[in-house]
Amino acid sequence: MNPWVATVGHELRSAGRERLPQLLLMIFIGMTAASAFIGSAAKATVTEVYNSAAGQGLTSAPNPFGNVPPLYYARNTVIYILLIGALLAIVLGVQSAMRDRRARTVDLVLTRRLSPASYLSAKMAGISLGLLAVLGTSALISAACISAVTGTIPAPDQLLRLTALFSVAWLFLLFFVALGMFSGIHASSYTSALLIPIVIWSVIIFVFPLLGTAVHPVSLLNPVTPPTAPQTGIFALTAALTGPLSLGEHFKHVAAILLQDPQATGTMTGGITVILAFLLAGIGSVVLTGRPSMRKEIHD
Amino acid sequence: MTSLITLCQKELRDLSRNRSVRLLILFLAVVVVLTVLVAAADFRTKTADYNTYLAALQASGGAVTAPPPDLFPLQMLRAGMEYLEIVGSLFAVILGYGLIAKEKNNGTLQLLFTRPLGRHSFAAGKILAALIIWTAVTTALFAVITATLLIAGNAPLTGTDLIRLLIAAAHTTIYLTLWSLAALALAALTRAPATGLILALVLWLVVVLIIPQIGDTMDPDNQIPGGLFASLQIDKAHEHAVMANFTGYETARDLIEQTSLTKQYERPLFAWLGIKNQYNQQSPAFVWAGTFNHSLWLLAGFAAAITAALLAGTRDKLLRKA
Repeated sequence: MNPWVATVGHELRSAGRERLPQLLLMIFIGMTAASAFIGSAAKATVTEVYNSAAGQGLTSAPNPFGNVPPLYYARNTVIYILLIGALLAIVLGVQSAMRDRRARTVDLVLTRRLSPASYLSAKMAGISLGLLAVLGTSALISAACISAVTGTIPAPDQLLRLTALFSVAWLFLLFFVALGMFSGIHASSYTSALLIPIVIWSVIIFVFPLLGTAVHPVSLLNPVTPPTAPQTGIFALTAALTGPLSLGEHFKHVAAILLQDPQATGTMTGGITVILAFLLAGIGSVVLTGRPSMRKEIHD
Repeated sequence: MTSLITLCQKELRDLSRNRSVRLLILFLAVVVVLTVLVAAADFRTKTADYNTYLAALQASGGAVTAPPPDLFPLQMLRAGMEYLEIVGSLFAVILGYGLIAKEKNNGTLQLLFTRPLGRHSFAAGKILAALIIWTAVTTALFAVITATLLIAGNAPLTGTDLIRLLIAAAHTTIYLTLWSLAALALAALTRAPATGLILALVLWLVVVLIIPQIGDTMDPDNQIPGGLFASLQIDKAHEHAVMANFTGYETARDLIEQTSLTKQYERPLFAWLGIKNQYNQQSPAFVWAGTFNHSLWLLAGFAAAITAALLAGTRDKLLRKA
């Protein structure tokens, strides 16, 4: 068998046997399923609140939820991809690299006719396929839950949009797999291998958006875009500097457009470009790792 | 007792020499300071916008109706406190895991238990060290926050403000130590400490991010940018009157949020710092009356974490699993 294909298969089997990513996976899929029902409960309550306020003559504004698209019910999923999905991707990447270093199988593998770049790209491909299966399952569950909540199967156009959302999520999460693998290859201990990408994740998701827009960290966990600071003065500068690095916000923006969020404006081009740039940088940093780095010992 | 103190001193020496721990705490301090600077810049931008609006209005002969933005210095700490809530607890998990992992990985557990230690001395030494280290870190962080507020934020702080900061620091110490002890207990109970770390991270994910996120997303006022009631042009008094008809839903949402210890930490913290408008500029007695139950739940969680760490960190369990 081609060594590259054999490595992909081995990676898929090994990742499938790990119990802890399985735990994160269960939480992720469970929350994806719950997402539609949480959205449904919120929408029903808002409509009742609106009807109550309108009935008392307190407002003449139209019901803001009068005509929400069915994909509205998937918007919480976007947040779970940012939180649980990214952590799952990091853990998969770290464990993939650490598995080899702990078992000292790298030395053996590298005696074969397989370059480090081919070996690492095969490992990445294996995890990517596994992740694709996870996201495919989540997409099906999400579509089923939306159907259950709305009482109708989403239209083909909406199913296409849902598929596009999970495809973008796949690209987004692959960066975190690469980040985890890079850390797993270079870190001196398991603790730092796991800690470093999680700290980077927290900076990308919570710190960069704050610096550019003054948005509070907890509001970033709400699928509704919070009001941001005016992009003048110091914020014009910080937004220009940190905006392109706010990967999570770019993903949320692309997702909002795909899910037909009425508040989402602009195009997806910028967001997808940033996601692809991060992904290329991540894959590049992993596959360009040299033999000496791969053979480094770990200290715990 | 002597062995407990010796173990605690040894732990404190190890932690103070640990480069990763120092870097994490430095990172936390930098992030918290940045949040205060961002809040100060945001306030200055709002004030400048207000002054521009005022000047334009006066030039056109209009009457001023909108009040200027109010400066409540402690409200500038909101983002910083949220970082302590999310990222601080994450670092606390790492620290707690490290307390057990290093002994298991270095093989020093067997050596330690050849000494005549009391049944719970080992765990108690670690617990005391975690409490001391987080007290020191929180004190330093809040000192830095206060200095940033005074210098960069140009915010006048009263004696009451300092007491409120002290109470917030006490809540933060309990919250962060709680997370370290939970991670310590999980690392002690699992065969491979790394498994304990990931279990602790899953617990962190659920308690710190997922449960509060569900509660937050279910809030009717969080469904529209800027708030549902603001978009419907309904004032606070009428908002409360309308929401009085939805007590069942609000109670369920509140119960979901209250299952998270992070919310039990956040609620009194935001109340004491006046971040929640209903508690802003209120007397300490008023704040205490409104939030003491949350503080007590936080304390109960802390007591549970201490108990778990004490029971998990015994010779039988640690050596059996090593």
